[in-house]
Amino acid sequence: MLTYTLRTLVRMALTFFVIVTLVFFATRLSGNAIDFLAGEGMTQRDREILIRYYELDRSIWDQYLAFLRAFLDGNFGLSFIERRPVIQIVVERLWPSAQLLLSAIGLTLVVALPLGVIAAIWRKHWLGSAAMVVAFLGYAVPNFILAVVMVLVFAYWLNWLPVVGNGTPLHFIMPTLAMSGVLIAALTRFTRNAMLDVLGQDFMRTARAKGLPERAVILRHGLRNASITLLSVIGLQIAGLAASGSVVVESIFAWPGIGDLLVSSAIRRDYPVLQFGVITVAIAVIVINAAIDLAYAWADPRLRHQLKG
Amino acid sequence: MLRLLISTALAAGLAAAGVTGAQARELKVGAANVAKYLDPGRDHSNVGSQFYYNSFDTLIDKDHEKIGGEWRPGLATEWHLVSPKVMEFKLREGVTFQNGEAMTAGDVVFSLNRMYQATFPPYMVRSKDRLNNFEKAEKVDDYTVRITVKREEPLWETLVNLQQVMIIPEDYTKALTGDPNVAEDSDYEAFSMAPVGTGPYAISEFKPGERVVYTRFDNFWGDKAPLEKVTVIHIPETASRITALKTGEVDMITNVAPDQLPLIDADPNLKAAGSVTPLFHVMIMNTNHPKLRDPRIRQALSLAIDRDALNEALWMGKAVVPSTHTMKEYGDLYMPELKTFEYNPGKARELLKEAGYDGFEITYDTDAVYYTNGLLAAQAITEMWAQVGVKGKVNVVEKWTGNSKDMMTRNWSNPMYFADPFGSFGVMWAPDAASESEGRFTTDEAYRKTWDKFRFSKDVADRRAAYAELMDRIQQDPPVLPLYRPYESWAMRKDVEWAPKPGHIPYVLDFRAGAIAFASN
Repeated sequence: MLTYTLRTLVRMALTFFVIVTLVFFATRLSGNAIDFLAGEGMTQRDREILIRYYELDRSIWDQYLAFLRAFLDGNFGLSFIERRPVIQIVVERLWPSAQLLLSAIGLTLVVALPLGVIAAIWRKHWLGSAAMVVAFLGYAVPNFILAVVMVLVFAYWLNWLPVVGNGTPLHFIMPTLAMSGVLIAALTRFTRNAMLDVLGQDFMRTARAKGLPERAVILRHGLRNASITLLSVIGLQIAGLAASGSVVVESIFAWPGIGDLLVSSAIRRDYPVLQFGVITVAIAVIVINAAIDLAYAWADPRLRHQLKG
Repeated sequence: MLRLLISTALAAGLAAAGVTGAQARELKVGAANVAKYLDPGRDHSNVGSQFYYNSFDTLIDKDHEKIGGEWRPGLATEWHLVSPKVMEFKLREGVTFQNGEAMTAGDVVFSLNRMYQATFPPYMVRSKDRLNNFEKAEKVDDYTVRITVKREEPLWETLVNLQQVMIIPEDYTKALTGDPNVAEDSDYEAFSMAPVGTGPYAISEFKPGERVVYTRFDNFWGDKAPLEKVTVIHIPETASRITALKTGEVDMITNVAPDQLPLIDADPNLKAAGSVTPLFHVMIMNTNHPKLRDPRIRQALSLAIDRDALNEALWMGKAVVPSTHTMKEYGDLYMPELKTFEYNPGKARELLKEAGYDGFEITYDTDAVYYTNGLLAAQAITEMWAQVGVKGKVNVVEKWTGNSKDMMTRNWSNPMYFADPFGSFGVMWAPDAASESEGRFTTDEAYRKTWDKFRFSKDVADRRAAYAELMDRIQQDPPVLPLYRPYESWAMRKDVEWAPKPGHIPYVLDFRAGAIAFASN
């Protein structure tokens, strides 16, 4: 188990290094920050003054080394625009995004797992078909459409729900639904398929034959075995959501999260914020993936025993 | 009779109560953009300009109801020239900053010299293009200040009224970081996160890019602010802004696109107020590009563009197409009689023939989203070029290419940083200003002389004559074509009485006394 954990950690570190390097060079490919900082009508001499001031006159390798050093001393620099430490800026935005992500995951699990199980067990019944219709609909509708339609219906027409910000629990309803729509659809389908695979297995018949109640058969023997497939799906989906899913939703609901921050700092070429923001998201994705890897071991005794041996 | 008196008194009392009730009200604004820092000196962006006027004052204020501007006392009560290059200002007494410090000559000198003798690089950049002629500010006594210029200045009031020279507190700023007696760069950086001024609203909460909260400053020297509290929140998405206005989450929103206006007008509880923005979207042409050196080619590119058609199609006819680089806001220097730019495809064809245009490709650079309708305009423009036989190509780029020698044409904007041609045309097209320094525009001795005459002549007629000459030069050897002045709208609840004032620079959200009121329903 220890070597497995270690290997997971080393892979994490490597992935992280590649991401960090890519982020550094990619952010610099899209133009010089100076052109976006000072507004229109700047002379070449002004540009030089500002380039020195923002320490962009050093060679790109120097900047890269300084950037890598930041991982040792924790000094990731100041935002070009706000002139505050980027850590402070990103941390302010982290919790709102995490809240939204967690509530979306929560809703997804609560809705998709039962729906998938229902769809598998009653696959020939209208109930199963209905569950799949919901799933396909969710899959076919992109989150920004879902968000805008909800805004139109529940805010613009009915005035039941607020659209702006994250002030109250009511504010969570629409963004959470918009975020989890696709996720629910995907997870429902995967749960159904994984369950179908498991339902036909011999051990299920054995479980029934020894007289276990149907609920225990389905949940303990069925879902538990299906969960290995489901874990990888959930992991991938959540990581994807953490990386990019929130950008559009946050912008529509004026959610003060990290997606909104990434977009605005990309537009303004605020490299320090953009870099650190992307790295934070990358860390989140890596941590989620690692957690899923470890969860496999928990879910799959074979893997656990193999690791021990 | 008594009863009549009583009921009249009651009614009057109720009305008065109603008014005070209205005065105590709060306002919530949903803005497409919220500033990421707030320092009137460093900033000249359209996003920032929304916020400063509520919280900061200049020495000389302006009647913003009027186009052209009538000067009125601000933090200075009177001013006069004591010698041709020295203006003396009597400061208003009893002015306090929102943090409680009293404003004295020291603060004024500090604020002005932070720009006139800038050491903080962002200030250096900002002051060079407009405040280059200002040498220093000096304290005479606690309530008297003198400003010295390098050459006699015809635009004194205009340049003392600039956002960049709004007054900030000296002690407070210096003490923000490091040595409390020295103004370090980091002090100015810290100031932009915790700004303090003398205006009618204190900035009581500032979350960069997210929200600005103003609270009425009760010790303001002038007319009391009409609102107790104003909260400006960032709502980037247009549909969400409009929805938030409709549901009552906000009372007012900024940046309503022309095609959304019918939606506002159709709602009995909402209304829109708009104005033509004091800013030009322009097309620039690289006069030094080997293939565009012949002015006739650039003239043809300009003559081929039907700007009225662009206005109709992209702005529903609400934008303004100028005949020259001029706007009403310039007051005495507004010169619509000059016909520098026109649509004449026949002449364009002729000129191309004369110049021997052989069908080479001419690129038009544009960012995908930076300017409203920028990409659509680019596509339409290259189509219009095709009509006269020019092979145009739209280049969607992310970078600013205005300083690249390969750039042929592209879009740009020329905002009005202050109400004078110097504040728009000048910042961009004066000798050694932005365009020339980027190598896509070259001035000669004659142009410099004319510019100098325009910039420093004391007589308005001379300035006008010089400006006409400059426009003539621009027409003969064109580096730029102003396309239109975009139309900008704000929407609000019906009972909110607010409209952009014509005397302001672009996008100012003015909530001072007289600028906003609530109709009693």
